[in-house]
Amino acid sequence: MNVELEHASYQFEGYDELCLKSGQNHAHSILLIPPLFDEMNRMRMMLVDVMRMLDRKAIGCILPDLPGTNESLFPSEKANLTVWKQALSQCCDQHLEGRHIVSFRGGCLIDMIIDKPILWRFAPVNGNSLLRTMMRARIASDKEAGQNVTMDQLANEADAAMVNLAGNLLSGQAFAELGDAVPADAQSTRLALLQGRSQPADIHLAGSALWLRAEPERDLVLSQAVADDIADWISA
Amino acid sequence: MSENTELTPEQAVRAVMQDILGLDADQVAAFTAETELFGALPELDSMAVAGLLTELEDRLDIMIEDDEVDGELFETFGNLVAFAEMKAAE
Repeated sequence: MNVELEHASYQFEGYDELCLKSGQNHAHSILLIPPLFDEMNRMRMMLVDVMRMLDRKAIGCILPDLPGTNESLFPSEKANLTVWKQALSQCCDQHLEGRHIVSFRGGCLIDMIIDKPILWRFAPVNGNSLLRTMMRARIASDKEAGQNVTMDQLANEADAAMVNLAGNLLSGQAFAELGDAVPADAQSTRLALLQGRSQPADIHLAGSALWLRAEPERDLVLSQAVADDIADWISA
Repeated sequence: MSENTELTPEQAVRAVMQDILGLDADQVAAFTAETELFGALPELDSMAVAGLLTELEDRLDIMIEDDEVDGELFETFGNLVAFAEMKAAE
């Protein structure tokens, strides 16, 4: 899978934010919105695999880093869903020509960033579920240090100023936005879920929930199924 | 729209364990009530446990409170399945 990936950037609030691009000479290109927080790291290999597979189908991809994550110099405690949507909107203005947007997991919470987007969503998650997982990780690490803290106390801490959840600094606004966030209704959405999920979807794909793994891993069969379905969706 | 059937609590626990540990279905099918979890499986660290609980909430449409979670819950596969069955029946 020797595909040239280009390290590019987009400008947001005076910061130079990174984005990874593939196949920019192709007629079609799409924006990929990564999962949020830890899940972003665990699924990064899958996203890059999908980019390489789509390149072979003559579809280019843009994968932005979100402000305050990865190598970004944007202060992470100032990041929140609103900021991320504004940044993605800027990234679209600067790099995306069409209206096709593919979002994964928590990325589905911040994918309404252009007028009339054509969306493909993979295993969307509510913000509250991400928040509960991060709060549980914090509660577990505090417990190992001999301290007891509850979810209510963590919510109060966030409200007062800021809370550190599993290494993520969340302001009161970030915490509140995440707690309420659900994927927005959109006119054109294709929904892909993993097999074994009871919820209805446009397609159920066989594969692993890589966001649950202790370490980042890949699932090439799933990545190929994702790339195949995205390519069909774009040509439809 | 493709169709999928509801999972039983035990099937949901097996499916989540499979995803966390990166095992195939046959390996997870070999888990019995006595199979030891926390401490015996290095992948099952506290972050993985946090993800496991939320994933069970999502898949079984249940809510798990802080004070329901203790070390005993993750001692064995049987304990975890019994807990999931109890929550799903509430």
